Amino acid sequence: MSGAATLDLRYPIGGLFVVLGALLAGYGAMTNGDAVMYGRSTGVNVNLWWGLVMLVTGVLFLWLARRGSGPPTRSAEGLATERREEDLGLEKH
Amino acid sequence: MPVAQLRTLDYVVMALYFVVVLGIGWALRRMMRTSTDFFLSGRSLPPWVTGLAFLSANLGAQEVIGMGASGAKYGIATSHFYWVGAVPAMLFVGLFMMPFYYGSRARSVPEYLKLRFDEKTRTLNAVTFAAMTVFSSGVSMYAMGKLLNLLLGWDFTTSVLVSAGIVLAYVLLGGLTSAIYNEVLQFFMIVFGFVPLVWIGLRAVNGWDGLTSRLTQVAMARGLPPESLTHVWKGMGSASTNAIGVEWFGLLMGLGVVLSFGYWCTDFLVVQRAMAADSMTAARRTPLIAAVPKMIFPFLVIVPGMIALVHAGDASMGGLAAAGEGMIPPKLTAAGLPLVDAKGNVVLDYDLATPMMLVKLFPTGMLGLGLTALIASFMSGMAGNVTAFNTVWTYDIYQAHIRRGASDEHYLWMGRAATVGGILLSVAAAYVAGAFNNIMDLLQLIFAFVNAPLFATFALGMFWRRSTGHGAFWGLVAGTLGAALHHGLALADGSVPGVKGGYFGVLRVYPSEMAQTFWTAIAAFATCFVVTIVVSLLTRPRPDDELRGLVYALTPKPVDDVKNWWERPSVFAAGVLVALLGLNLAFR
Repeated sequence: MSGAATLDLRYPIGGLFVVLGALLAGYGAMTNGDAVMYGRSTGVNVNLWWGLVMLVTGVLFLWLARRGSGPPTRSAEGLATERREEDLGLEKH
Repeated sequence: MPVAQLRTLDYVVMALYFVVVLGIGWALRRMMRTSTDFFLSGRSLPPWVTGLAFLSANLGAQEVIGMGASGAKYGIATSHFYWVGAVPAMLFVGLFMMPFYYGSRARSVPEYLKLRFDEKTRTLNAVTFAAMTVFSSGVSMYAMGKLLNLLLGWDFTTSVLVSAGIVLAYVLLGGLTSAIYNEVLQFFMIVFGFVPLVWIGLRAVNGWDGLTSRLTQVAMARGLPPESLTHVWKGMGSASTNAIGVEWFGLLMGLGVVLSFGYWCTDFLVVQRAMAADSMTAARRTPLIAAVPKMIFPFLVIVPGMIALVHAGDASMGGLAAAGEGMIPPKLTAAGLPLVDAKGNVVLDYDLATPMMLVKLFPTGMLGLGLTALIASFMSGMAGNVTAFNTVWTYDIYQAHIRRGASDEHYLWMGRAATVGGILLSVAAAYVAGAFNNIMDLLQLIFAFVNAPLFATFALGMFWRRSTGHGAFWGLVAGTLGAALHHGLALADGSVPGVKGGYFGVLRVYPSEMAQTFWTAIAAFATCFVVTIVVSLLTRPRPDDELRGLVYALTPKPVDDVKNWWERPSVFAAGVLVALLGLNLAFR
């Protein structure tokens, strides 16, 4: 059994994006209308808008991770590969 | 006086990212039981993960900083590095070479050379590769330390040690899986840090049309044809009518065939990611999946450099850019004055194009995100080098020459020790790079000579069963010498003989350094190709029985194991190729 399949990478990516997105969007909402601060970003409240984009992306990742049930990496070919490796003594269990 | 001031929120963004990076290593720590788990992720990863890691392992400082710098120098024509260079090579390695790498059960690229040719060819490749990975990870660490010091006023030693420590921790804990998982996370960080930079940057210059009209003026001011910075192919007929200073043949052959195929098809740093895939089909799809974002990456990494050239940004940010162009500051002399070349023009510090964009366009909050993306790119490059180094060291040098036949536990232990050793050596290399710039230039040159002929060796090994171990070895040696000889006899216009070439006398003057580099690679490739064939024909070939699974003619065609027809490697690659042609036409 190879361990990699037991951590679904979409959880940490989704989690990080949700937290970062909420943080940036929250800060953006607090500083909304600050013309000095957002002058350099051509007047766009980039914290608010990009924070929201990241938040949505993060939620999407988490949703995909929850929905994707069962190990996705168990193809017939992959199993045959592992069996062959075990026969050759390349991998021990 | 640092260029930018970070606030608490910026530090919080960075800290959160590092917590997740280390957390991934921690979560994977129990899964590293055998050496294949540690070095090859137990060959168990799905193709979207290995595909993004394939891309991200290469997405180091060279890509993000270097491509921004080239964008400012050569404009959109820099896309040749993607659309002529990387993407076709990635399709080739996926379709035609992966069956041998993955199918032969070799655990590394040098090990494939051992199976196909002989021990000496493998050792030559392994030793040069190991030295090169440590060296390039050191150089990139040095660049990072210097950049963070300039931008944020951070202490060089602290930046280097902290980033090295984080990479060390997550690679030690989770091996290649941890490196690959973090590379995928880094990929998303880099994309989400740079997309808003392009968005805001384009707004600042009135969109794409505003950017091209300003770049047209810059091109004319430089004495180039007006469309040379905003078109990919216009002016490629002759070296004197484009910004890169190379004609179409040198570009297609030197960059397209020799350098890009040599890197993407033979460099273990990237091939290792595909070898970690869970099946042959997944391994073949790894570079193909990576080719899709790679194709679009010019808009993410080159366009910021182009914008930096024509947009001065917030003028209140200090006088660093005063003598520069756009927001790109000049290089400074030891006395702190702008550096001026022989013709009296100010020399710009192009490497600062992209970092200056981040600093000048992003407010607190997004600045933290953008800098985290930048640091993520440095660290993914470093981790890529370290994981490739520990594998080649353990399997191809230690197990092959120092201690054979030890237990798997012993090699797993050696892998961890090599990880520590590799990182310590990189840190040392970073300090050497700081103290002796010339030594680094020289080493970089030697590595370029060693790399240039590689693709000839692999192509002949995989597709010509008559090629022999002696042929491959002497071909590689001759190719490296050929590169050194050509470089020593040629010089770029405006350079002085020395580390830039011409040390044996100047027989040929190229219009640009890029042209000289491309033709040096062509010379190396051609020499290696011819010498390998000649020596192979003079030496005894290996019997066909020993070459099954290693050579095209003696390997059964791989069977695609996919759910949908469009996932088939050949169909997928054809789709990418059509999109690639479309991009070249759209930006011709």
